[in-house]
Amino acid sequence: MTGLDAPILPTSIAWGLLIAFSILWVLLGWWLGRRNRTAEDHMLAGRNVGLALATATAMATWVTANTTMTAPQLALQLGVWGMLGYSLGALGLILFAPLARRIRELMPGGFTSGDFIRLRFGTFTWRVFLVVSLIYAFGWLVSMAMAGGVLINALAGIDYRVGMSVILTVCVIYTLLGGLRAVIGTDFIQTIIIIAGAAFIAWLTIDRVGFEAIHFNLMEERPELLSLLFPAAIMFLFNNLLFGVGEIFHSNVWWSRAFAFGRNVGFRAYLLGGLLWLPIPIVAGFVALATPALGINVPAADMVGPLVAAEVLGLTGAIVVFIVVFAALASSLDSLLAATSDLVTRDIYRGHIRPQASEQSQFRATKVIVVLLGLLTWLAASYRGELPIIGSLAELLYFTGAFVASAIWPIVAGLYWRRANPHGAAWSMILGSGIGLASYFLIGFYVAALVGAAVSLAVMVLSTWLAPRSFDWDRLSRDASTEEVRTA
Amino acid sequence: MRPILPASLLLLLLLPLAALAEPRFDDPPTDSRDGGFTLEWNAEGAVELERASGPDFDDARVIYRGGDTSSVISGLPDGEYRFRLRAEGADDWADEARVEVAHHSLARAFGFFALGGAVFLVLIVAILRGRPRD
Repeated sequence: MTGLDAPILPTSIAWGLLIAFSILWVLLGWWLGRRNRTAEDHMLAGRNVGLALATATAMATWVTANTTMTAPQLALQLGVWGMLGYSLGALGLILFAPLARRIRELMPGGFTSGDFIRLRFGTFTWRVFLVVSLIYAFGWLVSMAMAGGVLINALAGIDYRVGMSVILTVCVIYTLLGGLRAVIGTDFIQTIIIIAGAAFIAWLTIDRVGFEAIHFNLMEERPELLSLLFPAAIMFLFNNLLFGVGEIFHSNVWWSRAFAFGRNVGFRAYLLGGLLWLPIPIVAGFVALATPALGINVPAADMVGPLVAAEVLGLTGAIVVFIVVFAALASSLDSLLAATSDLVTRDIYRGHIRPQASEQSQFRATKVIVVLLGLLTWLAASYRGELPIIGSLAELLYFTGAFVASAIWPIVAGLYWRRANPHGAAWSMILGSGIGLASYFLIGFYVAALVGAAVSLAVMVLSTWLAPRSFDWDRLSRDASTEEVRTA
Repeated sequence: MRPILPASLLLLLLLPLAALAEPRFDDPPTDSRDGGFTLEWNAEGAVELERASGPDFDDARVIYRGGDTSSVISGLPDGEYRFRLRAEGADDWADEARVEVAHHSLARAFGFFALGGAVFLVLIVAILRGRPRD
């Protein structure tokens, strides 16, 4: 499946690491979540997460399989600009800092991003938003499950489906046991592993290969990767930035944290998390530029990171990469499972199926939905390379770019523009996604988010200018509180 | 003459198998707009893959030898590239592929860059104002 001839890590070591870390994450999940009694405990960790844990979870969740594996892939495909462009994803976290503060002010008792869209723009826009949000969440879940399978297959030769199934199962179990509290707690430990591991690999790559050899061989074999006038990479820069902004602004992964962080913590946590995240894709992506100097063959673009690390560092490198990427995968998969199950529980189960569901039945539903999400993800990830859009990690990820970037403006206008038009918000997502997707197929994966965001902005501004609708901001906190009292 | 006939028949029967065993590119791309693509092939053992910039393979260089069944090519400038494949140790080349790299124009690239920059600037202004707009 990966086109690779021989594995780098002995299967016995790979299984040992897999089992040891699986036990560690599950035990931590159980221990951290043992005091959860209500849906609010489970979903929002008691709404009192402090700055250190908040910063760590913001950063670790944003360091995903996509950062540790797609950043090298983009460096290999789009060169220096690809690597730097990927790091601009940090601006998504940094720009979300003021939004997190405003979200907390407007909806102190809120639960999900869907809650906000429903109360701010009404049912039609809410449903469009749910479709956009769930397509993205599912795409991200599948891409991470795929990354787990690819990693284990590339390094240890363990069958892709077996590795993918193990990683997914572990994340489902500890998210199920501990909820957001477990997710945030494990993120803290995973952050330390990720930073230390990525820095170690980059330092050893420079030490063993050297800048001169890397530069010389790139100029000889892949000169466009060093060109500052590489057209596709220039197109990619703002595309990636807007993709990152769209991912963070709309996704319940980040909204649930904005609700869960203590008062005045969100702004500083997202700002610090973004600044700490900025160098990670550069460090992780840089190693891919050493490929020609090392003379290694890359059978699949999304395997380049693990392959280079293993080539440079041998068995130690393969072990470090394995642990780092497993930590990165787990820290994001668990966050996404938790946040998506919250969104489905609140906005689909309670919003559409059982509006009178009690707190306890929502608590139970959240857990059932985590399992169902895990199963669906497993099914889709099993078809890697067999369905047109489930190709490489980057292809799948950037396919969702058109959807998420088109949600930037409904969120920003919803939070800051009193007269934003509700139907304009819905149509900005529909047209932004549609035209963004068309550009994905007609031009390339590197413009889908950019086009989606531009179309969405045009529709949002035009509709608000032509047909403004006034909104009372107090309705957000008032209506959210009334709904909670009714449920209780 | 008699022993030659069964031997010829056997050879004829084995010919398709020998052809199957030869490495073949699996649906290679014909063009690329970003200087990159993945070459995949079917082979039963180790192969040798070469790249050149012309049909006569004057400047051919080996880019891979081994048992993998695909290779990611990237960072190529505009031009026509030829690839050929054979089983490692074989004398004759088994298959060829031709890929035309024609990057997007810089005008188009900077057009998208400007569009992205404009959207980003509006976003910054909208957030930094940081207060409800009446």
